[in-house]
Amino acid sequence: MNVAPVSSNGYGQLDAQIAQLMQCKPLVEHEVQALCEKAKEILMEENNVQPVKCPVTICGDIHGQFHDLAELFRIGGKCPDTNYLFMGDYVDRGYYSVETATLLVALKVRYPDRITILRGNHESRQITQVYGFYDECLRKYGNANVWKIFTDLFDYFPLTALVESEIFCLHGGLSPSIDTLDHVRQLDRVQEVPHEGPMCDLLWSDPDDRCGWGISPRGAGYTFGHDISEQFNHTNNLKLVARAHQLVMEGYNWGHEHKVVTIFSAPNYCYRCGNMASILEVDDNMGHTFIQFEPAPRRGEPDVTRRTPDYFL
Amino acid sequence: MAAPPRASSSRAAVQATNDDASASKLSCVRKGYMTDNYVQYFVRRPVKRSPLINRGYFARWAAIRALLMQFLSQPSSKRKQIVSLGAGFDTTFFQLNEEENAPDIFMEVDFLEVTSKKAMIVAACKEMARHLESPVFAPEKGEISSEHYKLFACDLTDTARLDAVCEKADLDLSAPTLILAECVLIYMDPEASRALLRWAASKFSNAVFVAYEQIHGEDAFGQQMIRNLESRGCPLLGIHDTSTLESKMNRFLETGWKRAVAVDMDEIYNRHIDPVERRRIERLEIFDEFEEWHIMQEHYCVAYGIIDENETFAGFGFSQISSES
Repeated sequence: MNVAPVSSNGYGQLDAQIAQLMQCKPLVEHEVQALCEKAKEILMEENNVQPVKCPVTICGDIHGQFHDLAELFRIGGKCPDTNYLFMGDYVDRGYYSVETATLLVALKVRYPDRITILRGNHESRQITQVYGFYDECLRKYGNANVWKIFTDLFDYFPLTALVESEIFCLHGGLSPSIDTLDHVRQLDRVQEVPHEGPMCDLLWSDPDDRCGWGISPRGAGYTFGHDISEQFNHTNNLKLVARAHQLVMEGYNWGHEHKVVTIFSAPNYCYRCGNMASILEVDDNMGHTFIQFEPAPRRGEPDVTRRTPDYFL
Repeated sequence: MAAPPRASSSRAAVQATNDDASASKLSCVRKGYMTDNYVQYFVRRPVKRSPLINRGYFARWAAIRALLMQFLSQPSSKRKQIVSLGAGFDTTFFQLNEEENAPDIFMEVDFLEVTSKKAMIVAACKEMARHLESPVFAPEKGEISSEHYKLFACDLTDTARLDAVCEKADLDLSAPTLILAECVLIYMDPEASRALLRWAASKFSNAVFVAYEQIHGEDAFGQQMIRNLESRGCPLLGIHDTSTLESKMNRFLETGWKRAVAVDMDEIYNRHIDPVERRRIERLEIFDEFEEWHIMQEHYCVAYGIIDENETFAGFGFSQISSES
């Protein structure tokens, strides 16, 4: 069998870009634009409830902590050797939102069937202007074009995924407007994350110890109790809701009698929280293993990361 | 008790926390969290802080301000005095004076490097200087003396010098006095902060000593906080000596104070801040840092000790400030 040379497999340029991104070096604007155009074609074909096969490794918030994402790939295995499902919040807070988002989108374009990237509540125009991605784009590119390209692309990200019809994955949580997965499938998702309604809830809600639906202190989405999770899983023949969205000190946290699990994949979140991160490996037999990890050793990072995070001084 | 681990503490780095705090306060002011028309004069390059930092500085400001106003509004036949230790670039006197709430004496002390800069800035700023009655500026000594506002350079480990500045400021040692130390004791060696508390307890006969500072150095967040602050040269030298609310209270009781209270900032924000204000500021910015917000607030507290001869401070404190309906 002839092995095609790298340059002629049609992916040479993309592979080079991925290699560059893996070193935390951003692409130039026109490369980002071309990449996001290809990504859009792929993502627009995906379902609001994107079906995913096992084995797959499910990951939570990354928040621009690029070096910890690189650590995640060292621990969980490289893409495409390991299949990945990321549950949103790639940008904001950390110092490398640009590199993080670009790498994940590049991997999506290169290996569309090996990686699923859902939308988090931070994949939005409004939130990124408050929490850092917008400012980072301005700083790294001198204008807001790359921010615009990415936030336009975020509108196409699927809202949820379903692993082997058993594990329902999404960023935030359930919605009082949604009883079945078909309700999710009917949503018109290609838009900015609304301030209310089912699409907003999926990206903003949190499980809670109290039963029923509650008002969320976040001002968007709801809190939902054990009874809600139980009913939803029962109605939809699910074993588990896997979600991210909340910092949990051990990197994962079971809730609602194992009906819901929170996964958080940004160790020492904001370089301040001292938390562990974790990923959930789902094997060929749908068995789960959590792998916890700590922050990657920081080697030769530019000055910006030596600035310590803010405190009340 | 074993001696706490010594980390290298740089005087300049600890002093630099002033600049950081002033920048954060200005960030809050610009977003509309609170009014302070004077902090702007201490910030060379304004920055935008995250909503969590803004909200946390607001919470601290609101908690301290509530205690100050409670102190100032209590009827008294004697004059009221506020002593701010390690005051940095705090502008409370000027804002209180603008609001016609300033006490009879407001004395601030800090390192010479800080007070000389402060004296220079105030002297050069018409808007600030107009609040001082017959002021005498001596920036080289780091001093301002005026009718009501006094600024002195003093190392807080030097209690003889503290005695001297109290005399210079003409403090009445029996008059109701509120002593304030925001993020100050925590940077001192435990023996030094205890000596300071002991000095204050023996010096004043009717006083409340209010401290705002970090707690819980023992958990994962606390460990990271200790590392981060150490890496910027201002280690929390006192955190292991008083890591819990109970130990913050006990520190007062062990150094001569009659009663003591310590409440963490999460509880203060939820229970002791005007709910109307809280609702107002919660609408100022999108806020998506809830887990971190609670963790941060649980790692800061307000602790106060009271010493009074004739129940001057009976009923003083957070129990009087409740936002619960």
